[in-house]
Amino acid sequence: MCLGIPMQIVEINGYTARCEAKGVERDISLFMLQDDAVEPGDYVMVHVGYAIQKISEQDARSSWELFDEILAAESALSNA
Amino acid sequence: MSLNAQQWLQQIRQLPLPEKVRIMNVCGGHERSITQAGLRSALPDNIELIPGPGCPVCVCPEEDVYEAIQIALNEEVILVAFGDMLRVPVNVRKSEVRSLEQAKARGADIRPVASPTDVVRIARDNPDKDVVFFAAGFETTTAPVAAMLAEGVPDNLLLLLSGRLTWPAVAMLLASDEPGFDCLVAPGHVATVMGAKEWHFVVEQHQLPAAVAGFNNESLLAAFYSSLRQLLEDKPFLDNCYPELVTEEGNAQAKKHLYEVMQVTDANWRGIGTIPASGFGLTRKYTAHDARLKYPGYQDEARKRAGEMPPGCDCARVVLGKIYPTECKLYGAACTPRNPIGPCMVSDEGACRIWWSNVRKPAA
Ligand code: SF4
Repeated sequence: MCLGIPMQIVEINGYTARCEAKGVERDISLFMLQDDAVEPGDYVMVHVGYAIQKISEQDARSSWELFDEILAAESALSNA
Repeated sequence: MSLNAQQWLQQIRQLPLPEKVRIMNVCGGHERSITQAGLRSALPDNIELIPGPGCPVCVCPEEDVYEAIQIALNEEVILVAFGDMLRVPVNVRKSEVRSLEQAKARGADIRPVASPTDVVRIARDNPDKDVVFFAAGFETTTAPVAAMLAEGVPDNLLLLLSGRLTWPAVAMLLASDEPGFDCLVAPGHVATVMGAKEWHFVVEQHQLPAAVAGFNNESLLAAFYSSLRQLLEDKPFLDNCYPELVTEEGNAQAKKHLYEVMQVTDANWRGIGTIPASGFGLTRKYTAHDARLKYPGYQDEARKRAGEMPPGCDCARVVLGKIYPTECKLYGAACTPRNPIGPCMVSDEGACRIWWSNVRKPAA
């Protein structure tokens, strides 16, 4: 629940943004970022379907790596 | 220039550390990163990394889970909750329904959700039924729940709110005779939403070193290094080792919605007791969405369950960082993720679950 996932905005429609991370697309609420200028191409940190903050592309990529490591480690264990 | 994990480790190894330093984290995400990356064994032996109150599912009191189960079983509603909550057991007789998952098996309409936006969709798709959203979580979850209400929801969407603030549990520990830690690593995403400033009290009132950390090794190690240096130099301050996201004030929009929709209340924490000003209730404007007001019939029964814990479950001491998961007698024996006795073995953020999925070894 508490592990945020960075996603890239593909398209914005009102307070809803189509976002993408590692090939998966989701509708994300921008309601908590309504004062911020966000546009397609930007990266956001997402918690339970809500963008909580804008982040840089570099930071998004480093969190994705962390995610891959966690998933890899967990699947290695559960297949063991 | 930022250092990589190896360089941070070297920096830490070069510090003239005392015999024992205990660094507490209060975030399931931190504990996951630490355990998964094996940071405990990479750090010098005198550094103890203690998982503290960082799992919202684990502190959700028995009476709230019981109330959710009863509403789902007895009322014509759809009950939705974050997936973790469904498997949390309450301590009732074996013949009774012990979890939302069991209630679902008995025919109650219970659905796991991943986001408040899912809940709004379910409420729109089912206008003839009340949709009760059992929402447990810390600020990172409770703020989105508030945003959902602030944006506007259908009348049939009701909240069974079990939100908690993170810092009051730390304040309670620090005010006790035996806090059990020497440095604090503050949770990065809670601080992203609420602002780093919530954590100044650790330094100002208790003179304890503190650093806000993100979730990769570099940020966590930077926070450990910073707090250790603060300790050694006896100059505590609140360091921000997650400046990519965390600011002093946090997300102003998110906080505005949060305090428009909710007010801070005293709240019970599972196995721990009442912590002043540590929970949330709905403000007057939103009382029409309060499931506890619409379905009040279960509260007396639920309240009697306050303080209940399964026999032998040491979750409360695990949550408070008093013992490690492996020190619970049930860990890995009677209690495993497949057959959990306490919520700390259910939730992805529970220390028992995290340790079991990464290390597995029973007590050393
Ligand atoms: S191992 Fe199980 S019973 Fe023991 S503290 Fe953890 S969750 Fe509770």
